[in-house]
Amino acid sequence: MHLTATQERILADGTPSQRKAMGILCAIGEMNGAKRLVRITCAHVSGASYKLIGDPGLEFLEDFARDARVAVPTTVNPLGTDLRQWKALGVPPAFAEKQARIAQAYEGMGVRPIYSCVPYELGARPGLGEHIAWSESNATCFANSVLGARTNREGGPSALAAALVGATPEYGLHLDEGRQPTIVFDVPTRVEGLGWSLLGLLAGEETGDGLPFFRGIRGTEADLKWLGASLASSGSVGMFHMERTTPEWRRANLRGLRIRRISPKDLEMTRREYTDGTDADLIALGSPQLSATELRKIAALVDRRPPRIPVWVFSSRLVREACPEAVEAIERNGGRVLADTCLEVTLLEHRFGTVATPSGKGAYYLPSLCGQKVILDDIERLLERYA
Amino acid sequence: MRLPARRIAPGRAEGLALVSGTPFSFVGGADPATGTVLDDETGLRGERLADRIFAFPHAKGSTVGSYVLYGLAKRGVGPAAIVNVKAETIVAVGAILGGIPMVDGVDLGGLRTGDRVVVDAEAGFLDLPDVSAKPVVSVFLHNKGRYLLVRRSEAVGSFPGRWSAVSGYVEGDEDPRTRAAREIREETGIRGARFRRAGSPVVARDADTAYVVHPFLFDIPHRRVRLDWENVEKRWVRAAEISSFDTVPRLGDVMSSALSSRYVRKG
Repeated sequence: MHLTATQERILADGTPSQRKAMGILCAIGEMNGAKRLVRITCAHVSGASYKLIGDPGLEFLEDFARDARVAVPTTVNPLGTDLRQWKALGVPPAFAEKQARIAQAYEGMGVRPIYSCVPYELGARPGLGEHIAWSESNATCFANSVLGARTNREGGPSALAAALVGATPEYGLHLDEGRQPTIVFDVPTRVEGLGWSLLGLLAGEETGDGLPFFRGIRGTEADLKWLGASLASSGSVGMFHMERTTPEWRRANLRGLRIRRISPKDLEMTRREYTDGTDADLIALGSPQLSATELRKIAALVDRRPPRIPVWVFSSRLVREACPEAVEAIERNGGRVLADTCLEVTLLEHRFGTVATPSGKGAYYLPSLCGQKVILDDIERLLERYA
Repeated sequence: MRLPARRIAPGRAEGLALVSGTPFSFVGGADPATGTVLDDETGLRGERLADRIFAFPHAKGSTVGSYVLYGLAKRGVGPAAIVNVKAETIVAVGAILGGIPMVDGVDLGGLRTGDRVVVDAEAGFLDLPDVSAKPVVSVFLHNKGRYLLVRRSEAVGSFPGRWSAVSGYVEGDEDPRTRAAREIREETGIRGARFRRAGSPVVARDADTAYVVHPFLFDIPHRRVRLDWENVEKRWVRAAEISSFDTVPRLGDVMSSALSSRYVRKG
């Protein structure tokens, strides 16, 4: 891989963390056949939940933060608990203390502390053709597909390395040829609400590490958020196209691609496939975190039909603060609005065994990351069932 | 013996090899405080990673493995170097964070636990000073969907009585493909064999000798074979049947390499 004189200098004479960051980018670039590093305008790093990265991650981040400073605007993923509500949630003090140290380490590096998996709803909106380095699979999928920005599915350390250097290896989804579809999904059926998650789960399984092209449906930005989050969970999908909807669909070449037709029956079968619980002790909304519009909608639903089991709603601290009435309505009905954390990266296995959720991504990860049984269904139907 | 390797993380290290035949996860696979191997499937349980040249096919499991490897290196209980068949991000990132030299693109068939190994990531090679390399060719002759296997005579110097492809030592700096063509003539009497492809080399160990096998595939116009003294029996078999024969080591891998190799080396 070719390095510019400046990049060579960082590799030779940079700070210890810069040299390591450059080493990571070079190794990943060479493993993937990149010819050079390309400059990025922003980064989003995952790997902030103590539950997931544990003591090894904490140790690394604290060491790294001694001299690491990000070179481009950088946002960071949700934490393992809401640091303002952890006591009430029954989170062990040692967990909260270590979680706070992880947050401190990131903030010390100059990372913007949004602790959110939806940076694209919080002002990080890279434009068409902009190169970026984002980890967090749903954010990566949204940025590529809906915004037309360019990023590979980065891991936490590779996105952090790119943030420190301000560049990322140019391969895969950074190149035009890496953004061509590999399979077509014909969806001649109406898709709404939970349907977007179900379609994502199903198409992700069938796409594997390819790139899907959807025909026959159109969706709003909010719909595509849920589609992409599920796609990127059940498949290693970093991008999709949707006819007459996403910005690059006209560039897609569909010649010779396998075509898969999706029926309403397929979606219902997917819902059942991801449901293994019978009696939930928590209704959870999030994964990805809810927007202000989504939070207000849930608050209205809960207020109309208060559930007999707790409702946890995951959002960002910005949205939580912007919607005090919605928060009040949810809390009044026995629920909680948690900020700075999200469904499957948060500590909930110490209290619950079965979670009901309308999130496809949540349904995908809850069994493995939280040891939960899952009931996957529409929020209206869940509230009816647990009224 | 020197094996070519691709640099993943810079540096040079020497040590005794620790070779796992199965993919490895640093999360759960090794004790993060002591670097003791915990994973049973590696066959290395209880061994310590410290000062060893740790070789395994590729990483598996959680991405937290990067941080665990970093922690091992920081405490001085991590491996001296890492050798993979195919590197991927988890271990590559951990190796760079921990300052552990790492290479990939190495056929682990040439490596055994306890071998003395020098890894030079910068120069892109592995040295095994106590192992001598013997380059050989292994030639699959193809005719109408079947391949020729021959059983080695009791009089040959290595692997007597085992089934094999047409084979022979490469001498001096002879071109392996030239040697392959010559062995076909000598061992089968067939003329007019047509070169199809060359696979990437496969290494098979026998005590302190490492046979670096250059796999070849040739098409032949007929099946009239005249064996010389080196072989005593012949069979025309389908590719899938090879596993039911008592063959020389790694013949199945050599055949896969000869038949499905994506790159064709011209001589």
